[in-house]
Amino acid sequence: MSETTERPPGALQLLFNGIVSENPVFRLALSLCPAVAVTTTVANGFILGVAVLAVQVLSSLTVAIARGVIHPRVRIPVYTIIIAVWVSAIDMALAAFVPALYAQVGLYIKLIVAFAIIISRLEVFASRQPLVPSFWDAVGMGLGFMIALMVIGALREVLGAGSFFGIVLFKTKPLLFFALPAGGFFSIALLMAFFNALERKLTGGTAKPAAGGHHG
Amino acid sequence: MSELVQIDGAPRPKADPKVVAGIAMNLVLVCAVSAIVLGGVYVGTERYQREARLAGERAAVSGMLALGADAQVTEVRQYLDPAKREVRYLAKQYGDESAPTRTLVFGLDGSLREAEAAPAGAAEPTGLEELGRLFVAKQGGALAGFVLEGESRGYKNRIRFFVALDSSLAVLGVRVLEHEEDPGLGAEIATPVFRAQFTGRTPDEIAALGVTRDPMPEDWHAALAAYASSTGGEAPADWRSLLERERTKPIYAVTGATISSRALTRGVKGTVDHFRRRWALLAPRLEGEGASR
Repeated sequence: MSETTERPPGALQLLFNGIVSENPVFRLALSLCPAVAVTTTVANGFILGVAVLAVQVLSSLTVAIARGVIHPRVRIPVYTIIIAVWVSAIDMALAAFVPALYAQVGLYIKLIVAFAIIISRLEVFASRQPLVPSFWDAVGMGLGFMIALMVIGALREVLGAGSFFGIVLFKTKPLLFFALPAGGFFSIALLMAFFNALERKLTGGTAKPAAGGHHG
Repeated sequence: MSELVQIDGAPRPKADPKVVAGIAMNLVLVCAVSAIVLGGVYVGTERYQREARLAGERAAVSGMLALGADAQVTEVRQYLDPAKREVRYLAKQYGDESAPTRTLVFGLDGSLREAEAAPAGAAEPTGLEELGRLFVAKQGGALAGFVLEGESRGYKNRIRFFVALDSSLAVLGVRVLEHEEDPGLGAEIATPVFRAQFTGRTPDEIAALGVTRDPMPEDWHAALAAYASSTGGEAPADWRSLLERERTKPIYAVTGATISSRALTRGVKGTVDHFRRRWALLAPRLEGEGASR
């Protein structure tokens, strides 16, 4: 397995890549369904983001270690099993140690098994790179996903519920629409456009805009 | 990646037994390691999961019946023997592991077959089908109400719920404890407004309860939301007056989640109906719990 001949990129570059230049939500447009479903508040986005970060790092490490023994023909089912094992383990641990939190996010944790971002990082990165770069790629992508969920959550919570991280800012609900699922898609579109415009301004229009079209 | 399977055009290459064996070994290995990891995590967390669940149930029981600190709750575990000839009830003080257990066994015709008091720490019966638990609460010497545990098959997995009844067996509230319905669709059955539709109905009205896909009337939705967010004390007047109009009407299903809505409704109906018949047998035997009725 020598798909890559060049040296793997460094930790900082991988972190920057996951958080900014290949942000899973705003750049790769992956896992938009959960990004819409849970981001009605910042806290929800944060919790799911932490869970995804944990699953991504654990799965990437597992695949990076085991990549020599995984048969290429069955790699996708094997990745799915690896993700499912870590999701189940986290699910049981949360139910045992933080039941109040689990009551709120338990349903979403199980859905992480099907998140496109995780399996795509396993296929694109962890199955071809050694342990250390795979770790930093997973941390970068996990953080990028978590930050994206929190930014979306912040916009929707402030506009839809008039609060931020549960702290009431206004007594009214300024634009309830943003708390509803359709408002979630609009929030992501607005933020994606904002970040594209920002990047174009900073780089002088040389960067590629975000390309959507993925599901999951 | 040189050995990818050809899909179009070329004839399918013959499977090399060596390759197939390699793949099979690979999958067996992955599954075996996964099973060991999952088993280990389960063993390590099971005790804490159970404790967390019990604490949640205790809070639900006293919250649904609005019990004070002096309330006495009897937990009754119900079992059916495999031959379906008798029903076994194990009653003890709720939340006290050292309390003695009383056992009552009834034949299906309602005759009492056996009644005994077992010391604390009696083993849980094995080989019996569990029929869920029920909680009988007394406060200040008077019957304060019941909480019934029920289960129903939902869209994806079982839905486990509590139904609270007052001393006249009218519904005080429904709470969904565990479910795996889809977030945003079936999961809406656990929202306060949907659950509040059951509240206030008498056992006869519950027995005749149906589910409709018609939209919920705006005023009823507003009244249910007001009722669900009211904290203790008197129920809102709007809700009281609209309840008289709605109490014989069906449950309004969650849009896009008729199966989940029907599942919870069916579960509540069955649980309340069974309890009505069982309570008539149990009440005189549970030393006082039924005396105030």
